[in-house]
Amino acid sequence: MYILVLFLPLLSAIISGLFGRKIGTKGAGVLTSSCMVISALVSCCIFYETVLNSSAAYVKLWRWFDSELFTAYFGLHFDSLTATMLIVVTSVSALVHIYSTGYMSGDPHIPRFMSYLSLFTFLMIVLVTSENYVQLFIGWEGVGLCSYLLINFWLTRIKANKAAMKAMLINRVGDIGLILAMIKILAEFGALDFSTIYSIMSLNEWGDVYSNSVAVNKDSLTIICLLLFLGAVGKSAQLGLHTWLPDAMEGPTPVSALIHAATMVTAGVFLIIRSGPLFEGSPFALTVVTILGALTAFFAATTGVVQNDLKKVIAYSTCSQLGYMVMVCGLSNYSTSLFHLMNHAFFKALLFLSAGSVIHAVSDEQDMRKMGGLLKSVPFTYTMILIGSLSLMGFPYLTGFYSKDLILELTYDKYYVAFAYWLGSFSALLTAFYSMRLIYLTFMTDTNLKKEVLTKVHESTWNITLPLLLLAFGSIFVGYLGKEVIISNVIPPMISNSVKVVPLILSLFGALLAFVIYDRVTRGTSWEGAKHRRGIRNFVRVNSIMNVRSSLSEEKFERNFVSSLFHIVYTFFNSAWQFNYVINHFIVSNVWKFGHLVTYRIIDRGILETIGPKGIAKVLISLTQTISNYQSGMVFNYALIMIIFTTLFISGASVL
Amino acid sequence: MYYEYLTVGVILFILGVLGIVLNRSNLIIMLMSIELMLLAIAFLFLINSVVIDNLIGEIFTLMVLTVAAAESAIGLAILVAYYRVRGTIAVKSLNLLRG
Repeated sequence: MYILVLFLPLLSAIISGLFGRKIGTKGAGVLTSSCMVISALVSCCIFYETVLNSSAAYVKLWRWFDSELFTAYFGLHFDSLTATMLIVVTSVSALVHIYSTGYMSGDPHIPRFMSYLSLFTFLMIVLVTSENYVQLFIGWEGVGLCSYLLINFWLTRIKANKAAMKAMLINRVGDIGLILAMIKILAEFGALDFSTIYSIMSLNEWGDVYSNSVAVNKDSLTIICLLLFLGAVGKSAQLGLHTWLPDAMEGPTPVSALIHAATMVTAGVFLIIRSGPLFEGSPFALTVVTILGALTAFFAATTGVVQNDLKKVIAYSTCSQLGYMVMVCGLSNYSTSLFHLMNHAFFKALLFLSAGSVIHAVSDEQDMRKMGGLLKSVPFTYTMILIGSLSLMGFPYLTGFYSKDLILELTYDKYYVAFAYWLGSFSALLTAFYSMRLIYLTFMTDTNLKKEVLTKVHESTWNITLPLLLLAFGSIFVGYLGKEVIISNVIPPMISNSVKVVPLILSLFGALLAFVIYDRVTRGTSWEGAKHRRGIRNFVRVNSIMNVRSSLSEEKFERNFVSSLFHIVYTFFNSAWQFNYVINHFIVSNVWKFGHLVTYRIIDRGILETIGPKGIAKVLISLTQTISNYQSGMVFNYALIMIIFTTLFISGASVL
Repeated sequence: MYYEYLTVGVILFILGVLGIVLNRSNLIIMLMSIELMLLAIAFLFLINSVVIDNLIGEIFTLMVLTVAAAESAIGLAILVAYYRVRGTIAVKSLNLLRG
């Protein structure tokens, strides 16, 4: 049964991929979905056995690497972390499979799509169930590969191609970190399987207490942890290597839901949680993790506020929530991070799939500025997206509340990273703001749709709405049901009531602010000249440039100055802190130039070729030309040469 | 006692060599220089044979004379044949086989 959870997605991927023509569109959908559902049920059983009955299982399959000092088995490792991840991966994946059969209907390549989705799930399961780093690396690379295939699913689109390449390449930067970390681990520990590493790390702790000898010294642990974290940064889209995540929205929406909500981006967090004992040995690495996580949360939240693409808002929101998870990992609260990961998977999948439903309803329009007024037409999707958003902003008694508030509390408890707390709290405010903004612009404001589109807006078929409904139940109840199971070992910190309600109040304030501002925008355009609205109006200019009418009867100079200032700020946030520009302009283009000018032109075609084949050929040719010129055809020259060399020969012979 | 004649032989030989090397105009001069070299060699053989009081040098000289006669016969034949083909016997025009 334990292998079945791994085997079924592989089977469905193979059948749907290789025999897609035989089983047809419908067959592929039914087959992959049912395999995935069975896999999800099996993972529920695994969860019951390993977590609730607390009996971890180890399945050793076969011996894989077998050299003198290093042996690695291909084995499966089911502990509570794996079981939780399995639940997340398989259930969200099963729902996404069902959803895709509806969402992708009409697409000519559904068997291929289903095959990729299943393969992706399989490799993610390989990642989470692996018992050593090498096997984890298979899954790690595999999900990168599948993300490439899936983002590039509509392979005729140049933007999809570029986005897929970007995702693959930026992930590869992180993968190098993971490879280097693996090499370093092998050098320090002599093993790559988790159980050995954990036991050596526990030796390390005892060594500190009882004698001065430790098994692994701190500096190399710090290096290992930083390299592992580099891997996690790439995969989990933390600040610096995050730029692939928003671009990856070029893929179909179910892909975004699967890759960028539930599975792939969580692999980085999973790696940190899995390597928790290593990170515990290195306080410096933990601090770095916290700082970068907090910065990511803040950065992505500020960027998400001003995005106009429906999916990009959610993508930045994912980035922000991943920042939370990484941040709390840095505070050594791995189970809280895992809990947030699980909850986040449910409500973020719900948000993505609902966004897909909206996009489906408005004839593939993704720009929020061109939506609006869908409340009456698609009330079900509205409800779903509202549940997802409320859960995301940590509304009490919904799923997000249980993990997000706990994360902020735990951050507050650690006095030395106080700024992480404030960044996190401000991100909570912004999260609420952009969630509300999304809902308002999509559903509540006056419609900006074309008439022919608006008349055709409709709810989707059952295989789109059913996953939404199930995920909505998940978004409501998973936090409450899971909190005793997963975070029972977390001791809530002692903090005063006033601090405890700060994130909640900030969230509610943010939501209210968004609502008020956008309400005023839509009505304020026809409502002129109120002095006390000036502040809000200027802020409005930041958030929705297109709604601003220059109808203010105020000083022109001040207005222009303020509006240009806000325009700069708006552009800065809208282009994601100019990260793409900076990276392209200062790194990528320079590397390209270096590659072309230095390594290709100067070294490869220049120096190496001059002293290599081309140069040798040139020298030899001129040499032979000179020598053969001695044979001039003139007999007297021949005679001279003969005499000279005979003389030399005779005199040389006499010398010898 | 006849050592001073050795110098004559050597000088004759060098004259023959220079005749081949410096001559650019006429093939007959080249053949004559070869004859001169052979003559110088025969002369050296004779002197040495007298000096060391040995007959082999003289026998060898007779053979050299024979060989020189045969050689000049063949050489002149080649020259005539060559002249028939090319119509000139200049050494400078003998450069068809350049490297």
